Amino acid sequence: MTALSKNLQEDFGPTIAALAGALAAGDEKLFFQELDLLVERRERGLFGELRKLTSDLQSALVRFSIDSRLVDLAEKEVPDARLRLDHVLKLTDEAAHRTMDLVEQSGPLAERTAKQAQEILVMWKQFRSRSIAVDEFRDMIRRMDSFLEAASTDMGRVRGNLAEVLLTQGYQDLSGQIIRGVMKLVGELEMALVELVRLSKGGVKACAESEAPSVSRGFGPVIPGLDHGPAVSGQQDVDALLSGLGM
Amino acid sequence: MSKDMKFLVVDDFSTMRRIIKNLLIDLGYSNVTEADDGQTALPLLQAGAFDFLITDWNMPGMPGLDLLKAVRADAKLAKMPVLMLTAEAKREQIIEAAQAGVNGYVIKPFTAVTLKEKIDKILEARAA
Repeated sequence: MTALSKNLQEDFGPTIAALAGALAAGDEKLFFQELDLLVERRERGLFGELRKLTSDLQSALVRFSIDSRLVDLAEKEVPDARLRLDHVLKLTDEAAHRTMDLVEQSGPLAERTAKQAQEILVMWKQFRSRSIAVDEFRDMIRRMDSFLEAASTDMGRVRGNLAEVLLTQGYQDLSGQIIRGVMKLVGELEMALVELVRLSKGGVKACAESEAPSVSRGFGPVIPGLDHGPAVSGQQDVDALLSGLGM
Repeated sequence: MSKDMKFLVVDDFSTMRRIIKNLLIDLGYSNVTEADDGQTALPLLQAGAFDFLITDWNMPGMPGLDLLKAVRADAKLAKMPVLMLTAEAKREQIIEAAQAGVNGYVIKPFTAVTLKEKIDKILEARAA
C-alpha cells in the first residue's frame, strides 16, 4: 500500500465504512449524517486550496504593482532625475562664474580707489604738517577732485556688484529644491526595491508611495527639457497672466 | 506705509531668507522677521503686528498657498499684503494664487528691481 492510499484509508476509511454500514442497515439518518461529514471534509480541503490561491494571486498583484512602479521609476523618473541633477550642475556652475565675474570686476575698482586715496593721503599729511608747496597743493586739489568723482562712481559699481553677488546666491534655494526632489525619488526607489526583496522572501505588504507633487504643495523649479505642463517663462509672463486676471 | 513697516519673510531655505532680508534692508525696510514655513509663520503673524508678508510656495509643513489661504481666512490678517516669491511657474498655480488673494507674484530667480517694483506697486494700491 502506498503512503497516499494509506493516508486516504486513514482519513476517509472510517467514514466510508460508517456510510456503508448505515446504508446496509437502512439507517437513513446516520447515512446522511456520515455523508455530510464526508462532504464537509472534502470542502475543507478545497477551501484551503482556494485560500492559498487567493493569497498567491494577491502577492502576485502586489508584486506586479511594485514591478510596474519600478519600471516607471527606471524608465521615466531616473532619467528625469539625471536631467534634474544636470540642471543643478548648470545652476551651480552659472552662479559660481557669475559670483567670480562680479568679484573680478570689483577688485580693480576697489584697488584703484585704495591706491588713489593712498597717494592723496601722502600729500594730505604734508598739507596738515604745513610743509606742502603751492604747486603740490594745487596738484592735491586736482587729484582730490578726480578722486572723489571716481571713488563715488567706482564704489557705486562695487555696491551694485555686491548686491548682485547676494542675489546670485539664490541658486542654493533653486538647486536645493531640485536635489530634495531627487532625494525623494531615491527614497522611493529604495523602498520599492526593499519591498521587492521582502516579497521574494514571502510576505505581502503594499508598497507605500511618497506624497506626489501637486498644485497645492508645489512642483519646484522648472527644469529645461522636462515637461511640466503649461508654465510661465519669466516675470514678464507672470505679469501678463496676472494682468489678464485683472490684477 | 512707512519704512518702519514690519515684514515677515517665509522661505524654507535660509539662504533665500537672507537674500530677501538684505534686499529689503537695501530698500530701507529694516524691520524683517523670518520663518521657515507656513506652520511657524502663522502663529507669528497672529501674534505680531506684521505689515507685509513675503512667502515662498513650496515648503515642507505648510506650503505658501495654504498660508495665504489661512491669512485670508483670519479676520485679523485678511487684509495683509502678501507677495508670493517662488520658483513655482505653472500657469494654473499662478491663477490659483491670484484666486486665493495674493497681491503680487515674483518668480525665482528674480532681480532686486523686480522685488522693489512689486512691493512698491502693492503699497501704492494699498494707499490709493
